Formats: sequence, C-alpha cells, structure tokens
Amino acid sequence: MAGDCNKTVLVLDRSPIFASSSKQTVEFDIFTKAKAGMIPLAPIVKSLWTCSVEAAIEFCRIIYDLFPTEKLVRMVVSDRSAAVLNNWTPGQQNINLLLNCLGAIPPPSIEDPADDCTVIHGLASAVQALCDASADQEGEPNNGTIVCLTSAKSEAQIRILETYVQDAITRHNKTNDSLLPIDHCHLVIIHTVPVGDVSPIQERTVREVSPVLSSEVLVSQSGRYMAVKLIQLAVKFFDLCLTTVTGIPMKEEQNASSSANYDVELLHRKAAHQDFFKSGHADGVLIPSKEDLCLESVSLKWCNPKSNFVELHQCTGAYRITPVDVNSRPSMCLTNFLLSGRAVMLEQPRKSGTKLISHMLTSHGGEIYIHTMATNRSILEETPSISEGLGGRITDYRITDFGELMKDCRLAPRLSQLNEGEPLPIDRAKGQIERLTRVWPIVISDTIIFNMLSHLDPLPSLISKETLDEDDVLECKKAIYHVVGMESRHEPLPVPASGGTRGKGTKRDSQYRQMWSELETLIRSYVDTSDNHKQVLDCLLECKKPDLERPGSGASGTLKIAEKPAIKEEKLDEAEQALKSLEKYQRLTEREKSDLNIKTETDSPMSPPPVKKFKTNEGSINKTAGSQSILSIWTNRLNAVNAMRHAEFTGRLEGTNNKYELYQHLKEDLDNTVDTKPNIKTLTGQNKPQIKPLLGTHVKPPVSMHNRIK
Amino acid sequence: MPTIILLDVSLSMTRPVNIPDTNEEYQRRHLAIQGINTLLDHITTHSKLEFISLMIFSSQWEQVVNFTRDVDSIKSALTKLDDYDKTNVCNGLQGVLQVVTEEWGTNAPCQIVLITDGSTGTGSDSLKHHIQYRDTKFPLPFPFPSKLHICCVGSQEEPSVSASLPLYNRLIDLNGGKGGVFVPEGSLNITSIQQLFSQLAEKYFSPFNAVLNCGNLKCKVQLFPAPEDYKMQSLKKSVSNDLQILGFVDIQDVASPAGLSRHLVLPNPPTKEDESQPNGEKENKDIKEDEEETDEFKTPSFTVLLHGALKVHSMIALTQIGEDWYGMLYSFADNRKKSNLMLTIYEPGKYCLPWLGNMDMLAPATDFPEPPYGEDDNKSPFPVRPKEKRSYANNCVVWLKASGVQADIQKMLRHARKLPEKQQHFYKELNRLRRAALSYGFTALLKSVALMLERECTCLPGSSHPDAALQLTHAANALKSEQFRDITQNIVPLRTNFSEDS
Repeated sequence: MAGDCNKTVLVLDRSPIFASSSKQTVEFDIFTKAKAGMIPLAPIVKSLWTCSVEAAIEFCRIIYDLFPTEKLVRMVVSDRSAAVLNNWTPGQQNINLLLNCLGAIPPPSIEDPADDCTVIHGLASAVQALCDASADQEGEPNNGTIVCLTSAKSEAQIRILETYVQDAITRHNKTNDSLLPIDHCHLVIIHTVPVGDVSPIQERTVREVSPVLSSEVLVSQSGRYMAVKLIQLAVKFFDLCLTTVTGIPMKEEQNASSSANYDVELLHRKAAHQDFFKSGHADGVLIPSKEDLCLESVSLKWCNPKSNFVELHQCTGAYRITPVDVNSRPSMCLTNFLLSGRAVMLEQPRKSGTKLISHMLTSHGGEIYIHTMATNRSILEETPSISEGLGGRITDYRITDFGELMKDCRLAPRLSQLNEGEPLPIDRAKGQIERLTRVWPIVISDTIIFNMLSHLDPLPSLISKETLDEDDVLECKKAIYHVVGMESRHEPLPVPASGGTRGKGTKRDSQYRQMWSELETLIRSYVDTSDNHKQVLDCLLECKKPDLERPGSGASGTLKIAEKPAIKEEKLDEAEQALKSLEKYQRLTEREKSDLNIKTETDSPMSPPPVKKFKTNEGSINKTAGSQSILSIWTNRLNAVNAMRHAEFTGRLEGTNNKYELYQHLKEDLDNTVDTKPNIKTLTGQNKPQIKPLLGTHVKPPVSMHNRIK
Repeated sequence: MPTIILLDVSLSMTRPVNIPDTNEEYQRRHLAIQGINTLLDHITTHSKLEFISLMIFSSQWEQVVNFTRDVDSIKSALTKLDDYDKTNVCNGLQGVLQVVTEEWGTNAPCQIVLITDGSTGTGSDSLKHHIQYRDTKFPLPFPFPSKLHICCVGSQEEPSVSASLPLYNRLIDLNGGKGGVFVPEGSLNITSIQQLFSQLAEKYFSPFNAVLNCGNLKCKVQLFPAPEDYKMQSLKKSVSNDLQILGFVDIQDVASPAGLSRHLVLPNPPTKEDESQPNGEKENKDIKEDEEETDEFKTPSFTVLLHGALKVHSMIALTQIGEDWYGMLYSFADNRKKSNLMLTIYEPGKYCLPWLGNMDMLAPATDFPEPPYGEDDNKSPFPVRPKEKRSYANNCVVWLKASGVQADIQKMLRHARKLPEKQQHFYKELNRLRRAALSYGFTALLKSVALMLERECTCLPGSSHPDAALQLTHAANALKSEQFRDITQNIVPLRTNFSEDS
C-alpha cells in the first residue's frame, strides 16, 4: 500500500455543514496592539471548509515538492455534483493550479440546501480518476488511494461510502472499455469535527473490504489538526521521515549584530536515514517533532556551510526535502541560503567528542536535497595508484588531445521537443564518440600524424564530421597538398623519439611512408560517411595514380628514373642534395623490385652493378617485411610510389646553386661511352622520350599546388 | 566486498577423519583449514584488494584477525587455533553482525563463509531451537547486504549432516536467500574439501570482468568490488559486461551525485586471444615485435589515458552500465594522493540525476546551434531546472498557523503605511492576500482586512500625502465588493493623477 502508492485522489466534501466554524480562532491583528488607545480587531475563525482546503493543499505541497514526477495527486470537490480540479498530466500537478481552481469555487454556505449535497459524487469521480492511466504507468499495477475529507453523521453513513466505492470499482472493472481496471484501492475516510467537539464516529484501522479495496476511518479535529492528520498520512503512505536541523545561526531582525540559533524541521524520504534506523545505536538523535506532528524527528546539527561545494565520492543518496513550516522565518532563511548555491554539512550529535558528518543539504536547479554521506570505513581505502597498474608507467599518453575530445563530447541537455523520427540525443552522443575515435592512437609514440596536427589542420577535425561541405573538402585537400609539399621539400617529420627508427639511411622516407599510411587509414575510416569524404580519400589516393592506372608502364617509368641517378652516381656524388635524391630513387625502385627483377631478367639482361644494388636492397626489404603486415607493405609501397610522384623537378634537383646545365645528355652520352657498358646506354637511349612526359605531367602539379598554398 | 571467515572451533571439529592410504591422522579442522587456504589462494590470485577477517566460534565468538588484505596473516593464524567447547552457530553469526556493523556500517555488502561440521548443538542452544524461537538476539537478517555461505566439513552420509542441511538452508533464507550450502561430494577427504572450496570460490569470489568502451577505444577491465545486482520491488537489473561511455560532464555540473556503490576500474592485461586477432590493437603488435610483452606496465592502457584526462580537465565520463542504468567514471584520490579510476553506479533510471535531466535527452555539445558551454567555456547548460518551482522557492501562501496569516498581513500593512511611494508593492501584497483568501474560502479575512485598512486610513497623520487615504479607502472598498470575489480579477490602484491625460 505505502511504497507503490503513486496515484492519490483527495475528495473534499463541500456540503453546507462545512460552512460552520472550525472553532479555532485566528489572531490576525497583533501589530497594532502596541499603539496606545487602539483596540485590536476581533480574531476571526476559519470554517471547516477552509481547514479542509488548507490541509489538502498542504498534503499536495509536500508530495509535489518531494516527488515532483513519481507521485501524483488529484483533487475533487464534491457538493451537488463533483468538480475534478486537475488530471494526472505533469502540467497539472502543481498547487498554483489547484489554488486557482479552488478560488473559483465559492465556500459552502449554510443557506445552501443540504439535501442533494453528498460526498458520493466526489467518490464516484475519484474512482473514475483512478481508472485514468497516468503518463508512465504502462505495465505497472493500477493501485491508488482515495482520501475523503468529510463529516459523517453516523457509522452507517461511512459504511455506505465504503460500499459505494466497492461497487463503483467493481462496475468499472467489469466494463471493458478504454478505462484501466483498478488493481487495488485504499480508501481513507477522514471524519472532521470542529475543534473541541466529540466525534460520534470511532477511528477504525485498515480493513480489507475485498481483494481490490481496503479502507480505514480516521477522525480529526478541524483547524490545524486536520493538516497534521494529512501530513501524518503522507508520512505513512510515502515513507517519509523528519529531520530537525538544529543550531542554525540566524541574524535577528531587531539586533543585527547578534544571532540566535534556530531549528528547522524538514520532511523527506525515510531512505535518507536508512543507516540510522538500521543500526540505531546513536542515542539522543531521535527527538519529538517541534511542529506538533506527533512524529519523531532525527536531529542533526548545522555545521560548515560551504560555497560551490562538490562531493564526488562520499554521497550515497540524495533526496528532495521540504520544510514542514514552509513560510516561517527560520525555514525561509534556511531554504534561501541553500537556494543561493551553498551547501551545509549536518553532523550527528554524539556524546563522545568525535564529529560525525552524516548528511549534507544543498540545492540543484532550484530544488533542495538532503545528501547522505558514507560514514563508515570504506572498502576502497588504501587502493593502489593507477601508476602502479597496467600501463601506469607510460608517460606519453595523448592526454591533452583526449581532453579536446572530451570537450567535443561534452553533454548538454536537449530542452526542445524531439521531432518525429529524430534520433535520441543520447544516441547522437554515442555516435559522435564512435566517429571521433575511429582512428585514435592513445600514446604519442604510436603516431606521426597526430604529432603534426599543425601541418594537417584542419583535416583531422573536419574528416570526422558527419557532413563536409565544399569548403571543408577544399581545406582537407589543401592539408594533403601541404604535406605533399613538405615531403618534396624534405622537411623532417615531427616523429616521436621512440618510434619508427629502423633503417638508418631511409629514416625520413620510411617516416613519410608511415605518415602517409596513417593518414590514409584515418581518411579511409570515414570514407563511407559521404561522397565528400570520399573525395578527400580520392585526393589522397591521387598521388598513387600513376602507379595504379598503368602499373606496367609505371614500372618501366621508375626503372627509367632509377637508371638516371644510377648513372649520375659516379658523376655527381659531391652534391649533397643530389645524393639524397639518388638514395630516394634507389629506394623507389626497391618498391618495384618484383616487377623490376622480372622485367630486367626477362626483357633485357641487366648490367651487373644495378642488379647487385637491387639485391642488397631486397634484403633490407625482407627484414622490415617480416615485422609488417601485408597491408602495411602494400600501403608503404603505394606511398613510395606516391613519394616518387612528388620528386623535385629534375633541373632543381640536379643543378648546383640553382643552376642546371642544359643539354647535358650530349655530354652524358659522351661519358657513357667511356664509363658504362653499352646496354645501359641503349636503355637510357630507349627510355629517354618517356621521361619527359613523366616529369612534365606528374612532377609539375605538386609544385604548382605547393605554390598555391604558399 | 569484505569477507568474513567464520570457523567452527568446537570440540566436534577435532573428530578424526578416516582417509584410506595415508598414515597421517587428519582432524576435521585440518581439512577445514586446507579448504580455507584454497579459498584464500583463489582470492590472492583474483582480487588482491579483498578485505578478509578470520573469526572463530564455539559457544563464544572471537575475531582472530581483523579485516586485512594480508592473506598470509590469516594463514598463519589458522595454524595457531585452539579447541573450544560446543557449537553455537547463532552466537557466531551474532559476532559477525557486531563486527561488520562496527567496521563497515550497514552499506557495504559482505560475504560470510561459515565453516562447520554439521553438528548444530542440542537443547536451548541448538540451531533448531534458535531458528524456531527467533528472539531479539537472533542475528538474521543482517542489516547490511550480505551473502551467507555454509561449508560443511562432513560427509552427506552422516546423519548429523543430513539433518543439519535443512537448517542451514533455512538460515540462508532468513538472511534474504543469497549464498549457498556446500557439502563435499563423495567421501570426506582433502581433495573433496578442496573441490568444495574451489566451487565456492569460482561461484562467489570471481572477479567481475567487463569491457570499457569509449567509441572505438576499448579496454578490458575488472571492477572491484564486483557490482551487485539491483533489486527493488519488481525491478531487477544486473550490471552489463559492456560499459559504454556516453559523453563527458564537468564535475561542477554533476555536483554531488549519489551512488549506490563505487568500484575501482582496473585494466586487465590483454589475453593471448586478443593478440592473435588480426585487428588487435596496434600496441600489442608492436610489443610482439619488440618482444617486450613481459613488461605489462609498458602496455598502454586506455584507462590510464582516460583517468589522466578526467583528472586534468575536472570532468567525469557518463557511462551506461545496463539498460536504463548509468554510472560515472572519475578520478578518485584517497587521502594519500594516490589516484585511480573509479566507477560510481547510480540508482537505475533515466532520471537518476534529476539536475542532469533525462539521460536520453543529453546531446553532444557540438549538436547545438548555440554552444551550450558558451564561446569560451564561461557558462553551463546545467543544472536542468524543473518546470515547476518548489513551494519554498515560490513564495507560496500557507496559513496553517496564525503566524503565517500575521506575517502576510504585516507585509501588506508595512507598504500601506508608506503610501503612495510603495503603492505598487501594496497592491501586489493585497492581491496576493486576497487571492489566497479566496482559494482557501477564507472570506472572513477579507472583511477584517478591509476594516484594518479603514482603520489605517483614520490613523494617517495630517502630514501624509492625500493619495494615501484615497488608496486605502479604495482598497478597503474593493475588498468588500462582490466584483473582487472573482479570483481572476486584480484590484488595481485608484487613478489619482489625471495630469497626463489632460
């Protein structure tokens, strides 16, 4: 009954008898007493009706404050007919709406004819209200409580009410229309009498009328007692308890320099004192309520107010609170203090000197919560440091970069309604993390491209976007061309100290190879996102075009280039730049080794020196190949071809001091006849026409692009 | 979770055990100690951080070794035990109750391993009697979440054992049903006892392994202590082995979140299977190449990266740990400044942290046309405010006590005495008072307040502004008039200044 009671209907009897006095007087004119010669106005009395309404509103106030979404209350006013003031929807679950509705209903009058007025109409509406499903009730048992504030003439009349509710439920459960059948209903009939009067009705404890209905009868005096009765009911039904915050220092209005200590009583879920009720060892903590609620309260001492305080580790529970006396000065002082963003620690009074902070009061988003704090020894004490665990000794994690990713994946609440068919925001968040982590090396030494973001920007951040516009594609391409330019200028890559140092002479080139491979992996992982993403990949792959488009001629082309420096080797070994390019060209031919070897061995018997050179290089390839996957060999190979494509303009490469002697071949031919074997001569002679288009079409674009970036 | 080994040291435990083919003489307690060592070895291998305490009982109880991670101290204590009088299981459990609540309170889940031999005592101290007449001293159910395991050092064929098993099962039921009774299979010997304790260890002392996912970044982890299942009325949930990071939130925004439980997130070393997978992580491959896999500290772990970044940027990682069940990962530092990655498990549900709103409605910050954290991180979209203000934040009118009425009247009077300067405030308070009186059906108050205002009017000093008297009379008349019995109408000030119109 208590814990799963989510739907409550309050039925207020508005028959003429409620117009009579509650016999509790209200002194309201206390401020003029001090003035001499002034006779204070006579105290006034509230009607039974006013006391019922006040109590009902107080009940709603507590429930709405403590359980804004999970517990629902509806109010029904019953006279000659029933007026249902609100429904189960969240927008109608607030006291302002109820007060406005009540304001439109005039108080009962003694002159009204009493005959047709009965609370039965209200009970009928209440049963019907329970048959309405609330928003998130799906699948839950349809249980509810009806609290009826009435004034019965006799025990018999109360039995009539019970029978009526039983019949109404049976009737509703039988009719198989759209209404939800009631699984269980608890009926509380509160008989109210003016203060000081003797009730003809006796209280009666819970009785099971039938499997679907239980009922109890309570008797309450009107006036403030009525509200106390309903608060007690709320405490019982919704598993609440009281906390008295003691020793709150408050400035006196008259005497601002001194401060007196006040106590404030708060209501909240009992779970906040679960620990205390379970162990129950602390004496003197439980004190009677000072608000005459006839309930016990857990007293906790105010200590240590803090600003902007966050307790990440110790909180074991957080429960909404509401003050018992909401607009008393001490209550308002406390709630305003907490709403302003401060937190207050609460301490358990103990006989021994030790201080035990067990709770904290603070507000979040305009709601005040009592937090429970762990007070016992933690099983997580003296835990090892993360640096003592797996991977704890590594120091080059990309923490700053991950911080950026975290900022990009920071969550924010979507406040507007979702459109039809729109994905859940949280799924968008999951999708974003997935996208951003497709290629994400976690340590610096595992990556080249993420160490040279200044060169690649904005490509890495753009490519992970869901959509790329034309400008983005252009930016990405620019970044690729920029790196192409870097390579052609032989700029060293910002390689992490511990990574990628295998070959010695080929260090930089293998780094470039690795870099291109990484970059391709990065871009390729997003290729399915959109056509524009594919364009970026195409741009990257374009570098391999010569090789991919005409593999046969590509091989002969490289062979051709390879020949040339091989020839020059003897001649231009003093120029360092030339040497570098030479090395490079040699390696390029390695990549083509298989094609090349087959070709050279079958097509034309190669001269011994070049073949030897190839063989030694082959050895080094195999060495690296052993530690590489086929994929990486392949990508390296492509990259190498790629790199070839960005070779410097021959004139600039081979010239000294930016000067290049034209028509060298005439001279070369002359030298060759002296130094090298005749078949080389014929080879160069044969292939010469092919070099020109190669240089003309493929070497030029990077240079021009490079210029454009500059 | 803390473990209590509760060993029966009554005289019956010294009964010899007949083991064929050995010359050594074994007592039941020797077997029990063998079994306990098996369990301790398992714990040492799988969850080094477990706190274990050794308690013994006969007709009295004693805590021999306080909660410790030093398994060897327990092992050595086991060799030094004496023999005592008769068995009183309830007394032993009473001891557990005292020790645990004193040490850990009522929140920490504990496992109790009770080792006894099937004799349950006789007369008013017998287990049967205790279960039948559960008096106030009966320790079960424990106030803390617990699993009770009963290991019986006795063969099922013994009549005393078969008679005790229903009682043992009843004990576990009385404690909420978690745990089990373990009896050796076949004859009683060292092997069967070791098997029994291995079974117990496998079933209840296995580490909780999971995979931490942050998009495509994955890491095998162990949660310590193992998370418990959640059970509340009809709702039953288990923590998934797939922990998925949904996004990140600043620590200031997550404020002081309440957690059901907290768990260390420890990275597990990659297994051989991972390394043989073709698309295994790159670092594994590198290590293979360099043949450095022996040094596990050099294998990069995503948890270390995540921990570092969370710590540096003061954030938490919101993590889904099951269907409609969430938690947060954060850097936790104990008072010795040793920090580690921690998982806090929230109460299940989409509104587990009301100030973050519905979990389903959290979107990545980049999804918003206006950056929710401002251009340079100077604001926050949290906390999410509820649509309705709470009564204490809404200046609500409650007149249950006379002081409530008095305070509201005084507020209005104070403004009335400063007319015409406070005219706006006066009418605001007047209307608030009037609306509340109408809502509560407290019309008598309206008449009395009208009288009060009329009296105020007569008390005005001669020097007062003529408007004061006009407004007070106007307000008093309005309160008495039928027109303002309509709650939707507001009493508006009397117009006294016509100069603007002319």
